[in-house]
Amino acid sequence: MKGISVSKNKVVIFGYGNHGKFIAKGLQNDGFDITIIESDKNFYKDAKSDNFEKIFLIDVLKDDELKKVDLDVYEQLVCVMDDEHLNVFLTLSLRSLFKDSYILSISDSLNVTKKLKMAGADKVIDLYEVSANKIYNILDRPVATRLLEGFVGSQDGITFKEMIIPEGSFLDGKMADDVDFSKYDVLLVGMIDEEISHSFFFVTTGIEHKLDSGDTIVCIGLKDKLEDFSEEIKKTENKI
Amino acid sequence: MRDKLLLLVLSLHRSQKYKTYKQFARNILFDEENVYKRYFDLTIIFLVISSVMILVYEVKYPVPQWLDNYDIYFVSFVFAIEYLLRLWVYNDLSEIIIAEYNDARFLQKDFNIYSALKTGLSQKLKYVFTPSAIVDLLAILPAYRPLRILRVFILFRVFKLLRYTKSINQFIDVLVNKKFELLTLLFLLLFIVFTSGIAIYILEAEKNVNIDTLFDGIYWAVVTMATVGYGDISPVTDIGRAISILIIISGIAMISFVTSVIVSAFSERLNELKDNRIVEQMNKSRSFLIICGYGQLTKMFFRQNRKHIENYVIMDSDISRVEAAKKDGYTIMHDNASSFETLNRFDTKNCDITLLCMTASDVENIYITLNAKSISRKIKVIARVNDPLNFDKFNYAGADETLMPGKVANTMIYTAITQPTMYKAVHAILTGKSIANIDEIHVHHSHGIVGFQIKDLDFKSSKLLFIGIQRGDEFIFNPPSSEVIQPYDILLVMGRKISLEYFKSMHEGNISVKK
Repeated sequence: MKGISVSKNKVVIFGYGNHGKFIAKGLQNDGFDITIIESDKNFYKDAKSDNFEKIFLIDVLKDDELKKVDLDVYEQLVCVMDDEHLNVFLTLSLRSLFKDSYILSISDSLNVTKKLKMAGADKVIDLYEVSANKIYNILDRPVATRLLEGFVGSQDGITFKEMIIPEGSFLDGKMADDVDFSKYDVLLVGMIDEEISHSFFFVTTGIEHKLDSGDTIVCIGLKDKLEDFSEEIKKTENKI
Repeated sequence: MRDKLLLLVLSLHRSQKYKTYKQFARNILFDEENVYKRYFDLTIIFLVISSVMILVYEVKYPVPQWLDNYDIYFVSFVFAIEYLLRLWVYNDLSEIIIAEYNDARFLQKDFNIYSALKTGLSQKLKYVFTPSAIVDLLAILPAYRPLRILRVFILFRVFKLLRYTKSINQFIDVLVNKKFELLTLLFLLLFIVFTSGIAIYILEAEKNVNIDTLFDGIYWAVVTMATVGYGDISPVTDIGRAISILIIISGIAMISFVTSVIVSAFSERLNELKDNRIVEQMNKSRSFLIICGYGQLTKMFFRQNRKHIENYVIMDSDISRVEAAKKDGYTIMHDNASSFETLNRFDTKNCDITLLCMTASDVENIYITLNAKSISRKIKVIARVNDPLNFDKFNYAGADETLMPGKVANTMIYTAITQPTMYKAVHAILTGKSIANIDEIHVHHSHGIVGFQIKDLDFKSSKLLFIGIQRGDEFIFNPPSSEVIQPYDILLVMGRKISLEYFKSMHEGNISVKK
């Protein structure tokens, strides 16, 4: 139910080590269709005992074996092997084999990040960069950081939600500024206006936006208030 | 007489006013924090410099009477007062007497005020013989007119300036450390100077017109030995020249020896001196970061250069990493943050210290956390936890914030997969991209917006999104528009950097416009 679009629900995770475990479990809880690929027997066993269905034990260094797993149907390939060298090599192999897939890799230093980018990863997340960022934020603006933590971390508390404005909603056709979101205890942070482009706008950029059905709006608020609001916008009339 | 003295001491002891005055004098002389100390110091420095300038000027030119009076009486008078003040605050005479009086009463024996007075005064006498006190005293002497030779003592006023330079003290410190070597050399030097001085006197006093007294001989020995060789006195006999050859050679050897001793003493302590300098600078800055470990995380931390991180010092016990950091241009100390002495050098009482434990070892990080917390609870500790199993231990150790690089990265990857659009937004906010900044407005008690209602602050027209208020430990999300802003609230707003800056500058301090 949390899915953004159906096609993105198919994810391959390479590596069931430190990072793979956490990500795989989280994704499974959210109802993603995940496949795990490991080349290490022990990690393979771990994955088995954690009740994952689609697990492959293959040598990721060999292109033939990678080709056998039909990776074209997957939207996202996530490389989170514990060994950095393997990760870079794997990213390179995947890019050369599957030109159109979306590859996400983890890195543990600047040099590796550069290599991964060169190898063709679409997104690289630097282990230490995000942490360093966090420390910086804790020092610089502690309250805001705690709030942001909630956005990406915990399941309760104040969080983000993306909602698509349904057909016939009372929001349809209104200007973003004219709607009093705070009445519903949620705040509009930004939106994807399908009329203009597919990219994300923050409300604070100061550009007037017209809400149309089909647009994606992003709100923050308490989790249940957000749920309520996403029900509310399906209604045609603004009752409250 | 005795009773009168005791009565006087008792009244001083009880007088609050007396104590305040004494404390004030103490602060002005010693307390770096005191606002007046700065002015006091500047005055003294000005007096010293002007006094020396007058001394130099009057060698060749006549000095007006008022300037001479200023130099001799006013400056000396101020210095005399300073001297007496220092003597006064050095110890508490009355307290010593009172303490002995109480002891005597307790033991029911006769109280002898003079013995107590003696203890106190002998302490003061001890102060009188410290180098700085002697310099102070000599600086007053030129005021005594009849002895013109005392004018030269004005130069001692320059020595008063030494109080304000730390490097001289460090230099002396280094020399004291090499006391043994330097003293040995000094004795050897004296031995050679005297023997050759006496020898030249005995051998040449008759034949050499330039050598009249023993002093001439010793003077010649020193000048020759130091390889200065003015040439006003030179040996005329063969044997005299032979002695010259000997002391010139030994002189060269000796001087190079002294130089090398001093140089090696300095290079030994150079790092320590540098570290001292860093610690001093940090303590002066009042609020700073101590970063333990120069690893990946620390490097990354410094790459987040959205705002320049100014007051920080890195510490690492690994010399190769210290070298690397120095090469990269960071302030680093080669020291072990887990030792009590290292952290205790920082002014933990008066400074806001934030300690970042960023080493790759949990054992090390926990130890540093405990060490910091044992020195002062005030030190804020942000610790890196490498193994999630150790998380609780860090909380027990008292870390204020903990952070697991693995977990943070995992969450980010997870968000990137599940909410790709959001990931961009969150990432933009986290990294403080200019379009979307979440920032805090800290409302201090005299802030312009205290007492305003939320609806009065037109966030919308400032292009800001108001998210909520942090009040104490509570976070109020989207408070009603009638909510009144209280002092010490932290307002959380989102928006472009320029909007935030503008909003802040608009409301900063305009106390009068209250609704």
